[in-house]
Formats: sequence, C-alpha cells, structure tokens
Amino acid sequence: MGHFSFYLSTLVVYFGIDLLSAWSLNLQYGYAGVINFAFIVFQAAGAYVAGAVVLGPDTGPNSYEHYILGARLPFPLPLLAGALAGAVLSAVIGLFAVRRIRRDYQAAVMLIVSLILLQVVGNDVHIFNGQNGITGIPRPLQTALGLSLPDYQWVYALWVLAICVVLYVVVERLSRSSWGRSLRAIRDQEDAAAALGLNGTLLRLEVFIVGGAIAGLSGALLVEFIGAWSPGAWGYAETFVIFTALLVGGVGNNRGMLLGTLIVPIIVLEAPSFLPTIGYPGLIDAIEWMIVGLAWMGFLLVRPRGLLPERRFRAPRPAAGVGARHGLAGWVARTFTLGRPELAPVAPVAPAIGVVAPGRASNGEATAPVSPAVPPAGARSGTVGSEEQ
Amino acid sequence: MNVFVQTLGFGVVSASIIAVGAMGFTIQFGLTNVLNLSFGGVMTVSAFVAYLTEQSGINIWLCLVLGGVAGAVLTIFLGRTVFKVYARRGTRLFEMVMVTLALGLVIEYAVDAVSRDQIYSLSFPEGASYHIGAATLTESQLIIVGIGIAVFVGLERLLHMTRLGKALRAMAVDPGLARSCGIPTNRIVNATWLISGFLCGVAGVIYVLNALSVSYTTGVIFLPSIIAAAILGGVGSPRGAVLAALMLGLVTQLVAAAGFSAYSSIAAFGVLVVVLLSRPSGVLSAAARKVELTL
Repeated sequence: MGHFSFYLSTLVVYFGIDLLSAWSLNLQYGYAGVINFAFIVFQAAGAYVAGAVVLGPDTGPNSYEHYILGARLPFPLPLLAGALAGAVLSAVIGLFAVRRIRRDYQAAVMLIVSLILLQVVGNDVHIFNGQNGITGIPRPLQTALGLSLPDYQWVYALWVLAICVVLYVVVERLSRSSWGRSLRAIRDQEDAAAALGLNGTLLRLEVFIVGGAIAGLSGALLVEFIGAWSPGAWGYAETFVIFTALLVGGVGNNRGMLLGTLIVPIIVLEAPSFLPTIGYPGLIDAIEWMIVGLAWMGFLLVRPRGLLPERRFRAPRPAAGVGARHGLAGWVARTFTLGRPELAPVAPVAPAIGVVAPGRASNGEATAPVSPAVPPAGARSGTVGSEEQ
Repeated sequence: MNVFVQTLGFGVVSASIIAVGAMGFTIQFGLTNVLNLSFGGVMTVSAFVAYLTEQSGINIWLCLVLGGVAGAVLTIFLGRTVFKVYARRGTRLFEMVMVTLALGLVIEYAVDAVSRDQIYSLSFPEGASYHIGAATLTESQLIIVGIGIAVFVGLERLLHMTRLGKALRAMAVDPGLARSCGIPTNRIVNATWLISGFLCGVAGVIYVLNALSVSYTTGVIFLPSIIAAAILGGVGSPRGAVLAALMLGLVTQLVAAAGFSAYSSIAAFGVLVVVLLSRPSGVLSAAARKVELTL
C-alpha cells in the first residue's frame, strides 16, 4: 500500500506538471498557431534556473558541480525565477523565430534550436554542469513541514494541482479575452487580421513569452520535485510528447488537455516505468516511444481534431457602449495589449458615418470611422473570421 | 598554420558527409514540400545495414551500395504508403512535418529495440595517410570527399542534362503546369524518393565510415546539420546545399580547433539564424503562399 501511494502521488505530480506544459503549448500552438518545437528548452531553462537559485553559490573549482546563477532563495522565489527564465529565453528566441515564416520552416528552425542548445549545455560544464547536470536540489519546505516522505509527496501533489487550478483559470481567461481572440484571428486569417490592425508578429511574440513563462514554471516545479536536472531530461522528443498530448486531447481546447495529458505522458510514458521490466533494459522505453509516434500518426488520420475538439467560441456581449472586459481577463487583456489598436467593440446601434469606435480608441490610437455598412450584430461581437458565424 | 590547414581538411571531410545528405534532402524537399524528418531514421537504418555487411566481410564499396539501396527502398516505401495517405487527406505542412517526425521516432526506436540499445563499433581500415599540403588525411577520409564530389557532379548532370532532371526541375517549380505539359508527375515523384533515399543511405554509411560507431541515435544526431544545410542553401538546390555544407563543415571545425568544441555546432545554428533574418526570400510565407504537398 505504501508503495502504491508513493507511485500514485508521483504520477499526480507528473500529471500536474505535464498539464501545465500542455496548456502552455496549447496557448502557443492551439490558439496562436506558433509552432514551438523548442518547447522543452523553456521548461529546461526554468528547471535549471530554479535549481541553481536554491543550490547556493557555486563554490569554485573544487566544487563537484558547476553552474551559473547560484543563490539561496527561499521557497516561492525559485518558482518565479524559473518562470522568469522561461520568459526571458522565449523573448530572445522569439525575436527571430515567430516571424511570419513557413510553418514547416518554423518547426525545423525550432527543432534545430532545441538540439543545439541541448548540445551546448551538455558539452559546456561551466553553464549547468554539462552532461551530469545539477543534482542535490532540496525539496521546498520539506524540513519545515516535518512530514514523512509519502505524506510530503501528497502535499507536493496538492500544491502542484493548486497551481494547475490557478493556471487553468488564467489560461482559459486569456484565451477568451480580446487578446485570445486576436490570437485566433491571426492564426486563421493573418491577412484579414492584419487589415484590421493586428500585428501578428507582436502577438505571436507575446504568446510565445507567456507560454515560455508557464513552461519555465512547470520546469521549476519539476526540478524541485525530482531534485536533479540534466540534458537527458530534455531531448527534443519530449516536445513531441506534449504535441501528441495536444493532438489527442484536442488542439485549442484547454479541457481536452486533461485527457491528452492523462493518456500520452502519464499512461503511455510514465505509468509503465513502475511496472516490472521485460526483455533487456530499455526495451519498454523503445516500445513506449513507438506508441507515442504511432499515436500522432493514428490520431491525425482518424480523429485529427482530437477527443475534445476546439469549441466554437462565442464572445460575450459587451455592456452598453463600453469595451466589456471585467475582472482578471480585462486586466490581463489590457496589460498585454498596451498600445495596440484592436478590434474594439462597436456601439450596438448602427449610427451615421463618422462614429468613433469606443474603448481603446481614446488613448491616442488612430480612431477609424466605422462604416455604417458593417452590420452591428457582427461588429459588436468583436471578433473576426469564421469562428463566430 | 599547419593546424589551420589540417582543420580545413577535416572541415572538407565533414562538409562532404553533410553535403551528400543535404543534397538528397533538398531535392526531395524541393519537389514534394515534405520536410522529411524521418530522413534521420532512414539514415540510421542504412548505417546499420552498412554495419551488418561490414561484419560479414563484404568490401566497403558494396557496403556503400547496399546502404544506399536500403535507404532508397525504405524511403520509397514510406513515400508511397505513409506520406501519400496523409497528403491525400489534405494534411497541412506542419502536420506533415510531425508525421515525418513521428515516423522517424518509430523507426529510431524500432532500431533501438532490435539493436538492444547498444552502440556498435565498426572496424573499417582507415588506410594509409596522405599528405596534401600541410594536411594529413586518411584514405577513408579521402574516399568520403571523393564520394561527396562524385555525388555532386552526378546530381548536377542528372538535373541539367537528362530528361528526368528537366522534368524534376519543372515539377519543383510548378507541379500543376508540369502535369499539364505531359510530365508523368507520379513517376517523377517516385524517382525523387528513390534518389533522395539512396543519397540518404549513402550519407548514413559514410557518416559511420568516419565516426566508426553506430547506434540508434546516429541519424538523429546528424540530421540537424543536414536540415540546416538544405535550408541555408535554398530548398531544391544541390549547389546551394553543397556550398552551405562546406560553410557549416568549415565553421564547425574551425570553432572546434579554436578551442570552443562545446560551441562548434552552435555555429550551424548561428548561420541559420542569420540567413533567416537577412535573406528571407523563399523562406517567408508570403513568398511561398501556395506551397502544397506534391505527392
């Protein structure tokens, strides 16, 4: 029983962390169409940084591991450091990678970025201790809580799940905000969206950074749980796993990620590692990876929209005359869309020529007169393209 | 100075290996628009075929041919069955990349399962050493360079001096127009699979000829340089691929010789980034809007 409880709590932690990864990638690929084939790199960045800022300063040449950014930060700060690392690395890579290039090129470029960074970190022992990686990262608050290991595992699992709940609300709200609608607009019809004043490259860069931050956070949570991180943990194939989870769950559906994550990384890849081995060591791994590859090919053929397809989203009706974005979604949307002309909701009554779109138009943006030919019902929804109709 | 010349020699050797793979990759990518990441898996299979033939004592040239044929057979099989099925279903570019990657994973781990997760070393004799200026290269390294040159010349002649080559180039520009001109597009695609598969196999064999060990990750490790060379050289252009491969090979070896071996492969990455930023024609989606899979 004790073993089983341990096993189960470990799986719950992995599930939560993979779920965060899937939501992050879904935001980037599902909503914005950004093919982040270097996803695992951002998770790794978060993990390395979160690990290094707990381990304490590198003690110099005689130390048994070498790393940069050594510090001793108290409990919640390493998570933030990990998220920040993911965001910063995303910003750097995103500057050239999210430009409007052919989708297959983007995938190839990201893949190469992922492989090269893996080689550099693996070969240069001065960054994060080369192939051996950083080890001995203490679990947060383990001594302070004074729990036995099985109990601590469950506490950690609950902590991860709590973060998942918060992140679900954030991601779901983000994807419903006007920012999220803009993302889908540039994903589906970039030319049309550009004609309406959306800057596709900037939007992709933003979603890339937001996703990178979530990826970094997931890496930080993971490294605090397993206590070590090395190049073996972030091969390019790990990114493929998350993409497969997306496809299985349903690209563009945050709830579908629950199913996809449960099936692909947990049931196929993690659960069997607790089973008795068959054949020679490594055979089960090989079979698991073949199943993941076949899962992508099979789902694309049989059910390309996934188990839970993307829902047709209906924009909320704005309150009379005002850009109706309340609460967190409004705050986040306003924060992320600073200074961009957007699809501001139009007053519901079709007026004469020359009416100015309300909302964001007041803070110095060019104010476009709204043609009376635009049907008010369509214009009011504040979204573009086929999604609404 | 001597070190520099020696480094140039090694650079040309690794460039030859990359170039053979990149030429195969680029004509297939240029014609079918499938960015074929299963190329690495096929390369691994050919490398293992070379290993097995070498174990049974067959000479190196037959080894090369057998490895190439294995690559060609596997590639046309995948092209005619798997890729065609997805292309008929209207799979888009990115999803197709993922299909090829998935296929690559399946091949890679099937090889892993069969090879029992081990690394195998080969015992090709390196042959005598030759001095060319200040550089010293072994016989097998010279053979590799020779193969690189032969493949390049052969492919150029094929593309520019035969009817097949003419049809191939026509299809790469506009498949619809080529078909209406009476070019048997289906057969041309088949020929492309065969040629690129053969080159892929040869690349795998000469890679292990140089590295002298083979495992299930052989092709995957080698693939990024090939893709970088193909994209860098301009898709569908063997000349560009060779130039890009030369650049990558030399830069990689020079950086390593300068004492930054950990960073030698980042050069490939850096060059690719520079190209994406500075020479966007053909890479930007606006220029390649109508790109569709041609299978």
